[in-house]
Amino acid sequence: MSLRQKLLLLFSLTIAATVAAVTWTVLLRIRHVFEVRDQEETALFVSQFQREFQSRSAEVAASVGRIAQSDRARAITGELAQTGDPAPYVNEAQTMAQEAHLDFLEIVAPGGEIVSSAQWPARFGYAEPAASAPQGGSFLKREELPDGSQALGLFAMDSVRGSDRPLRILGGEKLDQAFLAGLPVAPGMTVGLYADTQPEPAQKSSAEFDARQFVAGGGPVANADAYKPLILSTLAAGQQSTSILYLTAKREESLNVTAIPLKNEAGQPLAVLTVAISRSGMVAAQQQIRATAYGVASGGMLFAIVFSLWIAARVSRPIEEMARASEAVAGGNWDVTVEERGRDELTVLARSFNHMTAELAAQRERLVQTERVAAWRELARRLAHELKNPLFPLQLTVENLARSRQLAEAEFNEVFEESTRTLGMEIANLKKIIGRFSDFSKMPRPQLERADAADLVERVRALYATACGENVALRTEVADEPMPLDVDPELLHRALSNLVLNAMDAMPDGGMVTISARPAGKAIELRVADTGQGLTPEECERLFTPYYTTKQHGTGLGLAIVQSIVADHDGTIGVESDAGSGATFIISLPMAGA
Amino acid sequence: MRQLPALLAGDEFLIAKPGATPDGGSGPFQVSGFVSGVLSLTANDSSWQGRPFLDAIEIRVHRAVNDQWLDFAAGRADLIEIPAERIRQAQQQHLPVLISQPVEVLTLELEESGALSNASLRSGIGYAIDRGALANVIFQRQGIPAGALLPQNVSGFAFLFSADRDLNRAHELRGGAASPALQLEAEGDGALQLAAQRIVLDLREAGFNVQMARSGAGSPAIRLRALRVESADPAADLAAMARAAGIAFPAFSSDPAAVYRAERELLDRKTLIPLLDLPLAYAVGTRVRDLRLQSDGMPDLAAVSLEPSR
Repeated sequence: MSLRQKLLLLFSLTIAATVAAVTWTVLLRIRHVFEVRDQEETALFVSQFQREFQSRSAEVAASVGRIAQSDRARAITGELAQTGDPAPYVNEAQTMAQEAHLDFLEIVAPGGEIVSSAQWPARFGYAEPAASAPQGGSFLKREELPDGSQALGLFAMDSVRGSDRPLRILGGEKLDQAFLAGLPVAPGMTVGLYADTQPEPAQKSSAEFDARQFVAGGGPVANADAYKPLILSTLAAGQQSTSILYLTAKREESLNVTAIPLKNEAGQPLAVLTVAISRSGMVAAQQQIRATAYGVASGGMLFAIVFSLWIAARVSRPIEEMARASEAVAGGNWDVTVEERGRDELTVLARSFNHMTAELAAQRERLVQTERVAAWRELARRLAHELKNPLFPLQLTVENLARSRQLAEAEFNEVFEESTRTLGMEIANLKKIIGRFSDFSKMPRPQLERADAADLVERVRALYATACGENVALRTEVADEPMPLDVDPELLHRALSNLVLNAMDAMPDGGMVTISARPAGKAIELRVADTGQGLTPEECERLFTPYYTTKQHGTGLGLAIVQSIVADHDGTIGVESDAGSGATFIISLPMAGA
Repeated sequence: MRQLPALLAGDEFLIAKPGATPDGGSGPFQVSGFVSGVLSLTANDSSWQGRPFLDAIEIRVHRAVNDQWLDFAAGRADLIEIPAERIRQAQQQHLPVLISQPVEVLTLELEESGALSNASLRSGIGYAIDRGALANVIFQRQGIPAGALLPQNVSGFAFLFSADRDLNRAHELRGGAASPALQLEAEGDGALQLAAQRIVLDLREAGFNVQMARSGAGSPAIRLRALRVESADPAADLAAMARAAGIAFPAFSSDPAAVYRAERELLDRKTLIPLLDLPLAYAVGTRVRDLRLQSDGMPDLAAVSLEPSR
């Protein structure tokens, strides 16, 4: 992974993590705020509803009070006190209830027995259990009806004034679907009433939930079973409780429900009033905010990636240029420079790099100059040395020839012939030395063509198989697989021949010369090994230096020429040697087509 | 069988020819039409009693009591029915009310099989009902608590049948066991429904598990209905009541002792429990003259005449 990619990944992850953390925190906070607001709104609605409920209770109490204070009620009280006959008033309660728009109304005698009942006219004469209830206020009461069912009612009781033994008026309004429908509810609010008004069988458990008994203003409550745990727990605890009910798996189809127990005078819960407020609006708002947050976060992350790309490119470009320049320097191109921008550390680094490469180039130039001078000195020394050997015989011969003028003609002729022969031989020797130097200076460029390494080895073997003599053996080891090379066969033959000749020279007492060829990865290795005395490490280091030789009469140019040929083929040459166990020269050339 | 002519004169033996023209009959009035709930009668010149004074009578059938009351107050009706429970109200409003002798017996019919197959249970129901509350309150003192099927004015021995409530006896006869679920149906509306509700309350107080039957809920175990006393002949009336209640009852003579034994035997079955004797009553307009009630409580219109309108 490149520096730019690492920087990009680092920046992107950092920004993405930051954006995600901020988004998550914001969403969490928004959700909390919405929940609190929803609860406050629910509490407000519940409070308003409870006030409305109290208002309706007060209306019931007021209606009962008006009936109790009516002239008719007073007349009945008076007549009843005189006659003691309640029969004429058996239907009176029905008339009064209709006029007062009450669902329940009973006229109760001072003794507690019913004089007239609107909801159950036949109950006259029976005792009214609620006759001892406090007067004035309202209370809840479960009322039996003629059909055997029960109804929950909001009741109030008041006495008819003007008599020592006053009648009491017990009136109420039925808490049912119609009552709920008459209550003002806010949009999205559903008010439900659960009152078990069916006659209780002996085996009926209080923990049973009858969904049919759970009604709202518009009819049966939808998904009534979802309310079951809340209603039963409220009935059991007798305390108001609030819960969020999920009608389906979707959050928007959930309700914030407050369950209010409705108790009788004894504090026993008779019913549960539920105020359910839909959370769909809140959830929709949350989802809209969440979608916006996700959009902003996505945009932020996209911007972060683009910005990271820009930053990474800006930060990494000088470093990448520096890396490329370093690679170029490592590859031998010391003339490369990097651009210097700004005044930051990277600029300082670039300036230092440029300075370093300039210094390296200068040092290399000086080194080349030095080496060139050294090479010329060496060349001069070698030339002097090589030329000095034939010149000394020449000088002696010429001096001898000059002295021989004093001799007799016969003796002069003998010396003259001997001297001219010697001069000719030494002049030929000088020509030979000069020819070698000329060859080294005129190394031709290779003419590449496809050839197999095995053929090259075979050609060398065929040339030197007989020339080795009796005490030197020559053998070859060639791999069976194809070993194609793009080489100049003549130059490579010349190089191999040079190595074979060196090997033969290294074994004056005889031995074995082995020429081998084998693939080595994407290269072909050509080895020439001998079993001679081998080379010292110092000799191995200097072996390819021009004019360096270990031979008494060598020019030191043979291995230099071999190295030059190998280098011209983009190959390498090395030597492995252990003292006393011979030496192996290894030529590695790139395989053709690899 | 001495009461055979009376039996044959009953409504159930009425012979009518389908599609016959309304000019038949030998009574004082003949049916002349029935349009929009108004039955028109015209005087029969060839009546065996002689031509009545009235030329025609219009009878509005199935008219609500309050509507009849309004018609009467507005002078659109000369004769209206007054239910027994509203006789007192009519009298308080100074309406001229004509009240018959008790001619209806409010009776509970008990199923002899099923949930009430136990005679003791049926007997306990009879003891559980507060007839006084029915008579005094629901029927506004116009009913007479009855322990006998035949009213006292018809048989003369009705006082021998007790009509008192005995809750302890009712509990005792019920046996203390859980009562089977019973349904009570009232054949009628108004006071009859109210009476049925009261009976349900009384029975529940005695430990019976009784509910008012919902319409179409099947055959109820208890049925509240009013049986008519249509003649002055006790034997014929008793036989007619048994027949109306669907009880197969052996023939008996019209001797008062035989009628008493027959009634005792009929009541001992505990399938008919008499509750109240009720009269029929009518508010009569001021221009109506010489209106009398027959023994079955129905007005005798043959001798009625009207004063000219002022």
